Amino acid sequence: MKLEVKSIKKSFDSKEILHGISFEVESGKALGLLGRNGAGKTTTIRIIMDVFHADSGEVLLDGATFKPDGRRFGYLPEERGLYPKRVVKEQLTYLGILRGLSRKEAAANTDKWLKRLGVEEYTNRKLDTLSKGNQQKVQLAATLVGEPQIVILDEPFSGLDPVNSQILKDVITELIQEGRIVIFSSHQMSYVEEFCEDIVIINQGEAVLKGHLDDIKAEFGKGRKKLSALNYKLDELGTLLEEKMTELVKVERISKHHVIFECVGDTSDWDILDALKRENVEIKSYGAYEPSLNDIFVTTVGEEAEKEDEAK
Amino acid sequence: MKKLLAVLRFELDNYFKAKTFIVSTVILCLLSVGIMFIPRVIDTFKSDGNDNNVIEGEVTGDITDDTSSDNGDYTIYGICGDLDDINLDDLRQYFSWARFQVFDSVQDMKADIALGDEATCEAGFEVISPEEFTYYVYNKSMYDDVEYTFSNYLLMQGKLKYCVENGLDMEEFMSVETRQISANEEILGKDSASNYWYCYMLVIIIFMLIIMYGMQIASSVTNEKSNRSIEILVTSTSSTAILFGKVFAGVITSVFQAGTVGLSLLGSYQLNKDYWGGGLSMLLDIPAEVLITFAVFGIGGFLLYAFLYGALGALVSKIEDLNKTAGTAQMIIMLVYFMVLFNLTNVDGIVIKICSYLPISSYSAMFARVAMGTVETWEVVVSAVLLYASVIGMGFVGGKIFRDSTLRYGQPIKFSNALKSLKK
Repeated sequence: MKLEVKSIKKSFDSKEILHGISFEVESGKALGLLGRNGAGKTTTIRIIMDVFHADSGEVLLDGATFKPDGRRFGYLPEERGLYPKRVVKEQLTYLGILRGLSRKEAAANTDKWLKRLGVEEYTNRKLDTLSKGNQQKVQLAATLVGEPQIVILDEPFSGLDPVNSQILKDVITELIQEGRIVIFSSHQMSYVEEFCEDIVIINQGEAVLKGHLDDIKAEFGKGRKKLSALNYKLDELGTLLEEKMTELVKVERISKHHVIFECVGDTSDWDILDALKRENVEIKSYGAYEPSLNDIFVTTVGEEAEKEDEAK
Repeated sequence: MKKLLAVLRFELDNYFKAKTFIVSTVILCLLSVGIMFIPRVIDTFKSDGNDNNVIEGEVTGDITDDTSSDNGDYTIYGICGDLDDINLDDLRQYFSWARFQVFDSVQDMKADIALGDEATCEAGFEVISPEEFTYYVYNKSMYDDVEYTFSNYLLMQGKLKYCVENGLDMEEFMSVETRQISANEEILGKDSASNYWYCYMLVIIIFMLIIMYGMQIASSVTNEKSNRSIEILVTSTSSTAILFGKVFAGVITSVFQAGTVGLSLLGSYQLNKDYWGGGLSMLLDIPAEVLITFAVFGIGGFLLYAFLYGALGALVSKIEDLNKTAGTAQMIIMLVYFMVLFNLTNVDGIVIKICSYLPISSYSAMFARVAMGTVETWEVVVSAVLLYASVIGMGFVGGKIFRDSTLRYGQPIKFSNALKSLKK
């Protein structure tokens, strides 16, 4: 199963919100859909779910136009929403029926997912009598009650404590292993790194970076090194590199534990190590820099934001 | 269809399990039953009491100031002017609850009456001639028929005088004048007089149902938008199924509530019919054709506005913005309501005829015409077709507005803008 989003554009009140977003995701994989607030992630998700119609472009499933129905996907919105005054089982069964299940199937799935998420004791309680974390789990059960092939999760870990987060991680891992498509939207990059093989970063309605996460990391780490020293503080080390080794390296930034720099031209590791020795730098750690997703996101979106500022 | 039924069932649960619905239905039923029992209760208390309210005072044949016999239980009226033909004995037969105080001049009488609560006389009569008098009263109540009673008295005095002057026997004269005519009536068309009140009542009922339940449907949509459950709903099923389910649930609930209250009212009336003197029996005799027309047009009108309210509910994100957005729809409903009520006495007029074809007003105008006016079958059919075509149209337009607007949060969306975006 392969879901493809092809060049979708969308305007509201004559203002174009999406400028031709494209990406794809296959079954058994999770795609990280990333972007700042207002970047266009939710609009993209709503177009995939056919809640909004794209002005142009298309969404395909296995090459054919995707006609979503409730049975095919489950959606966990960022803004959680169920009926606070209705009994948990009642409303989950209702949502199951709306997604095409029979009443019996919907009730059975409700029981299954409430049990799997550890909230079966609240089956017959009104939603607003549950804690925030448990309401969150009920919301996830509502997403999965239809046994969807495509699961779209918008900030699923928001409001969960570490124990509940672990339960959710296990569930998401199972969903991926079962061969479902998971589209995962979050600002918590560590979770995205944990589950997603592929990412798309959307900024100002454009997909500014997309691809396999390992490839993106390798590309971003290419020619970049990280360094720390025993006899220099990180900011002093950064200054030293900038002042004394300008022909060899270009300092990119100083992280919590390392100075990150880019090698200039054909500079080799030996050239750098020799230069450091000449400056009496006692090396604590030195090696290839592998950026975190957070670094990639900040760098990508930050650069885009700078370009926009310059353009303005 | 299955999903529409699921929405319908869920929404019906929402209504029927709501404490406010249960309590309001029970209270309305109890009130209806209670109101129908009022005459019986009053009658029970009356029959238990003493019937000694009428106190016969001493009377003389000549008109004199007879307030001397007043023991405080009588209403006192002033009287002045040409009193030659006024006979107190006869006057008493007409004013058994009153005593009369004679004034020398009309100014004195008016001055007394003008004192209001401090006055001796509640009202007064200046007899100008046997055929003319002036009635003076400080504050005239809606049910004041004293003037009419005094007129009757003078009329009777005139007849008596005529009989005396012409040597006629008064009893014979009266038997001729008051002879009973046996009249039979067979209405081949419609009886507007008796149809008026139930027609009036049904117009009010349909108006209230539309306003009350229309707003409930709109609130239900806005609440789902506000608590974000709409996010899950619109991604689970079609917006049309959601809106139609909500609207149908509103219609069923309103029919149930109105029906329950109506049955309580009529059932209770049946038990107390004798105490009402059969005054409300016309409610039990509403012709079938009127009831069918009421049902067809009432439900059609309700559906039309319910879809509109559902769409309007989707235009706002907060319940407090709803009244402002729904204001125009409510204004139209109010205008239709007043227009039909004001034209109930002229149901064959051009205004109500036009309104009976407009879908926004035919729900009450056409059934008023059917109940009280002259209307051809084809007119009813054309109007019903127009109404239900508009209902279907409004259902789909409402569904599209609902779909387009329901996930747009923030400032309320103008209805005109929502319509414009449908064209795109």
